[in-house]
Amino acid sequence: MNEKLSRSAIQPKNPLLNASRVGNLPHVPGIRVGDYIFLSGMVPVDPQTGERSHVPIAEQVRITLSNMRHMLESAGSSLERVVRVHVVLADISHMAEMDRVYREFFPIDPPARTAWSMQLRFGNGCEIECVALAG
Amino acid sequence: MSARREVIPPSDAASRSGQPASMAVRGGDFLFVSGLTAIDLQSGQRMPGTTASETRQILTNLRQLLEAAGSSLDKVVKVNVLLHSMLEAPNMNDVYVRFFPDPPPARTVCGARLPDGVKVIIECTALA
Repeated sequence: MNEKLSRSAIQPKNPLLNASRVGNLPHVPGIRVGDYIFLSGMVPVDPQTGERSHVPIAEQVRITLSNMRHMLESAGSSLERVVRVHVVLADISHMAEMDRVYREFFPIDPPARTAWSMQLRFGNGCEIECVALAG
Repeated sequence: MSARREVIPPSDAASRSGQPASMAVRGGDFLFVSGLTAIDLQSGQRMPGTTASETRQILTNLRQLLEAAGSSLDKVVKVNVLLHSMLEAPNMNDVYVRFFPDPPPARTVCGARLPDGVKVIIECTALA
């Protein structure tokens, strides 16, 4: 008991998906602490090229959630272990389209979620972050 | 040993809400509650109104949801409030202060574009 919690950075197995390192941004892709994994906001990055992929919104959401799965699995967790999700869209009118793709990734017992719209950087159509239980 | 994940309430209730989200998920020592909008918890019908009335409905539902999950408003550690307009923040606050004990939880309030014309969304993380 009272053992001090320590934090460790999470790295994706695919280095092209380490968006913060590729873009020299002051954050890590994720942090593991205790029972939890906290991921940074993830955006649609093509896992083949590491480039932002500004395809139609459904595909942007699909790429982002696929990358989130990769990030969690790299850390020994999985989409099934996600407890909380924040979905931010650049355009509020894309909500239904986002939901449609989102359901494919969380078909049963989905995480708690909040979704809204606000300005996003780099022309991204979506940004998605999550908290998951560690493996 | 890895922490347990449990959806609250069961997924059939969540799926009835039409949202691809569970209202709350317990993971380890914490309860993660989805961004709530003003609805009738029994029927799932939306209850659009003023910022004040939506806030009151959401926090009433939140209290019920937390207590059904074995938590309570005084176990909430962090709240995020999303408003359709920051000009409405005082109207939200007037209602908000009546729900939480002293000291209240940590909180962030943001103005954002919200889906379906709702004026308020409130989510929280609480001790399970």
